[in-house]
Amino acid sequence: MIKARPPMTSTTFVPESGAAARTGGLPVPVATVAAGRRRRWPMIVAAVLGAALVTMPLAFGMFSKTPKGAVMLSEFHPFMTTARLDGFQTDIRQIDAAVKENKTSITQQFASAGVTRADLDTRFPSLASLDAQWPTINSDMTDLLNKVQGNLGNYQAIDALPSFRLFPWFFAVPGVLILGSAVVALRRLRLWRPGRWAIAIVGIGLVIAPAAFQMFQRAPDGGRMMSSFKTIETTGSVVKIQDYFATMASGQGDLRLGVVPALEEGGLSGSQVAERFPAVTTLDRNWVRILNDLTPMIGAMSDNVPNYRAIASLPPFPLFPWFFVMPGLLAIGASLLARDRTEQSYNQQQGES
Amino acid sequence: MRKRDTIVAVVVGLSVVVLAGCSSSSTATSTTATAAGRQALVGTFRLTAGTSTASGATGTYFRMIQPNGTLASGPYFDNPDSTATDKSYTLQVPGTAGGLVTDRFQPNPSPAFDASGNALAGAIVAPTPFSAIAFGISTDATDPQTGKSVPAPSISFENGKITGQLESWTASWNKLYFNQGSPKPDGTSPGLTSPVSGTYDSATHAFVITWASEIVGGPFNGFTGYWHLQGTFAPGN
Repeated sequence: MIKARPPMTSTTFVPESGAAARTGGLPVPVATVAAGRRRRWPMIVAAVLGAALVTMPLAFGMFSKTPKGAVMLSEFHPFMTTARLDGFQTDIRQIDAAVKENKTSITQQFASAGVTRADLDTRFPSLASLDAQWPTINSDMTDLLNKVQGNLGNYQAIDALPSFRLFPWFFAVPGVLILGSAVVALRRLRLWRPGRWAIAIVGIGLVIAPAAFQMFQRAPDGGRMMSSFKTIETTGSVVKIQDYFATMASGQGDLRLGVVPALEEGGLSGSQVAERFPAVTTLDRNWVRILNDLTPMIGAMSDNVPNYRAIASLPPFPLFPWFFVMPGLLAIGASLLARDRTEQSYNQQQGES
Repeated sequence: MRKRDTIVAVVVGLSVVVLAGCSSSSTATSTTATAAGRQALVGTFRLTAGTSTASGATGTYFRMIQPNGTLASGPYFDNPDSTATDKSYTLQVPGTAGGLVTDRFQPNPSPAFDASGNALAGAIVAPTPFSAIAFGISTDATDPQTGKSVPAPSISFENGKITGQLESWTASWNKLYFNQGSPKPDGTSPGLTSPVSGTYDSATHAFVITWASEIVGGPFNGFTGYWHLQGTFAPGN
């Protein structure tokens, strides 16, 4: 059965209402009744909540920081695939194999011709430097790649969220809507009810949004990625990788342009060198591709140090879903508490009858 | 009345002097002379190829200083492909235009790279191997690394001392661009970036131009390129 509610316009009278009875049977305008029976404080709370949502992105500097996060995710994108990350690991393994081959079989080859290890180190200083530093370089680079690879899923989770550029607006727009609805309702009583509804709808949206975007799962993933990259995305770490790169490039140059020609001068043909020293031959053959691979990655690492810092200075990622849910629940609560008592009692009476 | 005539005469006289000065200056720009005695060098700085010497190198060459290094003592990035004895010097050979042209650009070709990332810009210097991949030099109206508009190279001299700006000087390598100008495209001189300077002998047209430019951004962020151009200036474009 449809139960009719009393109209809420200021020009309508309710002769049998409780208010009319208290005035000695005289009809009283509903708006006057409503004005006297409405709780203003929940609407004021809603207005404060709206203002807080508008202020929050400004307070956290989100308008300047989140676009940097978007740039970082975008610039990492080409490298964050299983194939690409496996490729980097292969690159390092190829260098490792060549360095080891140089230390063993190539050194033995030269030794058989009376050339000592010390002679080789003098003749090929860049290779000697690579030899000496390689255990550290190999360990650090492998560790770095393992960390990045271990965060592939976390990266993909965070990359699947809406663009970081939009995040400040996800707070500011609902904030403006809640604030505006509350202020309008407080100033124009006939808009009290639509105002309440608007606040409730925005509140529901805020509660639903994190679930819809799977933020409860993805935001902690993003937080884990940010924690793992804490030691990678630093100026010191990037400079160290750049230094390693210079050492690898120079050392490889000595292998390619010094050691191999020296082996050939020693009587080995090109095919014999390739057959006896496959790791060095493979590295030489793939070196340009390795440079094509590694150089842009180092560039992305370097360019995104400030972007990482900007994002890292935001509140922890796992809290973000709650930054939506909590204001959403508050907005819904404020909307419910701001219900008209006349409306409530009317509904109650209808329910009892 | 006489006083007013005097004032008018002085004003007119000064105006004539100022206008004459402006006219002279504007003429001087096109003929490479400026009113202050500084002369613009508009033409081609024909480069002499770099050669290895006992103390390092002479002619046209490039060195790359690693982050936190100094211009004087490095540490330098050793280029294994360098033909110099000291691999920290990358010796360069003049390109198809013979060298650097001022007052206009010598842009990157299109495409700027081959499939392996070797640079194809070869007007100023011939593409030069750098760790297995050739790098090239160009001057582009829009800096390819930063996307900023930059002026064409300009060099001038006074009393045998060269000054100028080479904001548009860009190195291309491995499908990447590195602005190597001085000042940088935003007008700053970060890190070890040093102004364009050098010497010019107006009788023989022999010149030496040097500058340093820190790489901002990319895989070599914080490295600094040191450039040494040497040769003979040929006026006119």
